[in-house]
Amino acid sequence: MTETGAQSPSPSDERPLLDVSELRTTFHTPVGPLVAVDGVEWSLRRGARLGVVGESGSGKSVMSRSIMRLLPKSRVTSTGNVSFDGIDMMSLGRRELLEMWGPQLAMVFQDPLGSLNPVMKIGKQVGEGLRVHRDLSARAARSTALDLLEEVGIPEPHRRIDEYPHQLSGGMRQRIVIAIALACSPRLLIADEPTTALDVTVQAQILDLLETQRAERNMSLVLITHDLGIVAGRTDEIIVMYAGRIVERASTKTLFRDMKMPYTEALFRSIPKVTDDSHARLEIIGGQPPTMTSLDPGCKFAPRCKYAQDLCYAEEPALIEVPTPTPARSSITGGDDDGEPDAGADVHLYRCFYPVGTDDAAEALERNIASGRVSEAGVVIRTD
Amino acid sequence: MAGSGNAHLRPDALLTVRDLVMEFPAAGGRTVYAVSGVSLDLLEGETLGLVGESGCGKSTTGRAILQLPTPTSGSVQLTGRELTELDEDAMREVRPRLQMIYQDPISSLNPRRRVRDVIAEPLFIALENVARRTAMATWQDRIGELLQNLLRRAAPLRIVGLLASVAFVLWILSEAVEERAAESWLGWMEIPAAVIGFPSLAVLLLAAAVALLLGLTWVLLAVMLPFSLMSRQFGDVSGPVGLAGVVVTTGASAFMLWRTWSSFGGWAQWVNSVGLSLLTAVLAVWLIASIMQPVRAGASGVATTLSAMVVLQVFYIAGLDDNAKLIVLVASVVVDTLLLRWVLRRYRANRQVERERAEPRVREVLDYVGINPDDALDRRPWEFSGGQAQRLSIARALVSVPQVIICDEPVSSLDVSVQAQILNLLEDLKHLMGLTLIFIAHDLAVVKNVSDRVAVMYLGKLCEVSEPDAMFSQPAHPYTEVLLAAIPHPDPDAELGTERIGGELPSPMDPPSGCRFRTRCPLAAERCAAEEPEMREIAPGRFVACHTPLFGEEAPVRVELATNERRGS
Repeated sequence: MTETGAQSPSPSDERPLLDVSELRTTFHTPVGPLVAVDGVEWSLRRGARLGVVGESGSGKSVMSRSIMRLLPKSRVTSTGNVSFDGIDMMSLGRRELLEMWGPQLAMVFQDPLGSLNPVMKIGKQVGEGLRVHRDLSARAARSTALDLLEEVGIPEPHRRIDEYPHQLSGGMRQRIVIAIALACSPRLLIADEPTTALDVTVQAQILDLLETQRAERNMSLVLITHDLGIVAGRTDEIIVMYAGRIVERASTKTLFRDMKMPYTEALFRSIPKVTDDSHARLEIIGGQPPTMTSLDPGCKFAPRCKYAQDLCYAEEPALIEVPTPTPARSSITGGDDDGEPDAGADVHLYRCFYPVGTDDAAEALERNIASGRVSEAGVVIRTD
Repeated sequence: MAGSGNAHLRPDALLTVRDLVMEFPAAGGRTVYAVSGVSLDLLEGETLGLVGESGCGKSTTGRAILQLPTPTSGSVQLTGRELTELDEDAMREVRPRLQMIYQDPISSLNPRRRVRDVIAEPLFIALENVARRTAMATWQDRIGELLQNLLRRAAPLRIVGLLASVAFVLWILSEAVEERAAESWLGWMEIPAAVIGFPSLAVLLLAAAVALLLGLTWVLLAVMLPFSLMSRQFGDVSGPVGLAGVVVTTGASAFMLWRTWSSFGGWAQWVNSVGLSLLTAVLAVWLIASIMQPVRAGASGVATTLSAMVVLQVFYIAGLDDNAKLIVLVASVVVDTLLLRWVLRRYRANRQVERERAEPRVREVLDYVGINPDDALDRRPWEFSGGQAQRLSIARALVSVPQVIICDEPVSSLDVSVQAQILNLLEDLKHLMGLTLIFIAHDLAVVKNVSDRVAVMYLGKLCEVSEPDAMFSQPAHPYTEVLLAAIPHPDPDAELGTERIGGELPSPMDPPSGCRFRTRCPLAAERCAAEEPEMREIAPGRFVACHTPLFGEEAPVRVELATNERRGS
């Protein structure tokens, strides 16, 4: 935490490494267009860590693939601007993209077995990018691959380098995938649910590994996950996505201290916490995520939201900034004053008419309980 | 960690697992020691959380309790009944009371079947089983049981029989080609027979040898199969249906015997006649069974029966003279078609009856798990999201009114928000139906939320057994502490646990001596390698298998030692 605190506030007005604006990705399905990502906008500084959180189907993976330009051209269209270090990703051709993947942007996927070639030795897979991008000889690529395997914490790299993916455990495979992604020292690493398929102990190891490698290489990291617990200690900024939209965006500390969006609150409350007593009732998010091909007007989360009012169903709230970020903090006791991120980086955006923690929201919840839409315990009963 | 001791077991438990050992043979004559002496117990209405890394044997333990497969050694007792000694049929009778929910809901539900059938399946099996067992308890109980045991033991013989039948058919054909080519009724066979080069001497010799084997098999089957099938299908052969079956079977056999006797010559007459008539008998039984109780026989059974009948008819017709041939051929095609239609209609109708009988119960369990039966009954499992599909799995487990449900990582592949729904649902069902659960997971926070008692497993052995609140506030085993440190906290100000367990789980083919955790344990001492720790109670309700537990009477010194060591590293 301390070392990243020293790095994250970037000096002067450095251009962001990645700037995404108005990104919209549409799948053309037999039942009509499906807008999986709708007008997403964010930017990432060099060396910064961004967490993207949301349920399955919220568009977080599609967003990352759109940025990487990994989606097939047929039946999918992406519009908007994605600028990576001044280069417009959306205008790049296939050949130019091949130049970008590896040395500039790299990705780690959820399923390590699925992203490795089962009939190719590990060493060759790790060295492949090096041979293509760095023009290394087979021998040089192999020795660099050995170093990489050592860096990602593979025991006995000399033996492992000649093995096949199926001979390794899940955690080791994910380390190999990370080694491949790191091979050409990318400036941005997108990790899409890198630990979802793994055990808690291995998950902690892999997240530690990503963090040390990121710090060592001054690389930017986008960590995509459905688990708020994973991003809490390991990111500088968090984007919460729902139905293809950003519904809340804030620095990690601000988000956890002062979440505004009811969806973020609901996600947070649904996590079982070790500190809670055994058999503690978990707060659930009732209902289902919306069907993306036929979205209703209004806030997309409204049917599952315990604060939702008529206004929420009629009109979709815009992504707005928290007016003054300071007063809300007083509500939390014992907030430390020193470790605050600088004001410039601390933009807190949310998309709600009745933000959590306000009097409006409290009144709205009371009205909902009175009308029987929400139970006394705050669970949505009718998801009309 | 040894956990070989049984200090943590309680009397009057609903389910008691004692010294469970599960070993699998591996390549090169080696053995995978998946579970090595695990003891667990479950009081009625209790939830036992079983935690550990992947590969520690927690799923294997769960399956071994269900006898999937029967454990290498050890005992599993459900309400005092020893499950490891039960045979297949008796176990099938117990299984409705012992159900399982799997990790991946989509792949554990058959994508081609409708929800109503998927969920009703355990019910059909349970009902049939009960019906069959009660029927078996009648006068022919002993004979039936004996025959069925014989039949089961005769499995290898049946394979030989199957191979033999194929050879036998070829042989008859070759014989027929030889003898009857001149008579031209099988003249068209000459060309293929010439091409594949038989009857050659080798083929004939082989066929003769096989036919001998076949004859033996058939005699064996002839005694067992009709009886066994009859008792399987109808339970009681003394009823009108059973009697009709016996009459038809005997009649068909006799008829075929007479026909084949007159159409073949020489010593082949004997083999052919006996063989064909027995085959007919078996097929007749099967056919009657399919018609009377088609759900049991299944569609493929009906199809096999009918196609085999057609083959028999071909032989029969082959033996006729030219004039009769055409008439019988046409007649048999008509009869077969009508029969097929009838069988299929009966089959569908019976299925429908079964379905309707099961529907109220299926609707009930779907309601329990929060799925609207009107929407879901006729959809297929893949049309549901992961969370809903997991609800279907739970419904399927509930349908047979189980006493114990083993949940094998039921929420590991789900989103946090859906995970919360499923966890709450399991809690509700537990209170509503008085369920007893074994909850297997690697996520400690999840386990803590649902469990009344938690058992931590490592490499086939138990480390610690305790109440969750006590265990999580003060872990007694170093491994528990390591697991706890790895949990991500949804709090940016929380310390990221710095204690990481080094390395990987050792190979279960070559587990470390003494305490199995010693190779990765920060507190490991010489004693740990030499001596396997026994499970013991270090505080009320706290059981741990460790020489140096993190608290307890001998703890103060140890804890200090532990913290020093950590500071040093």
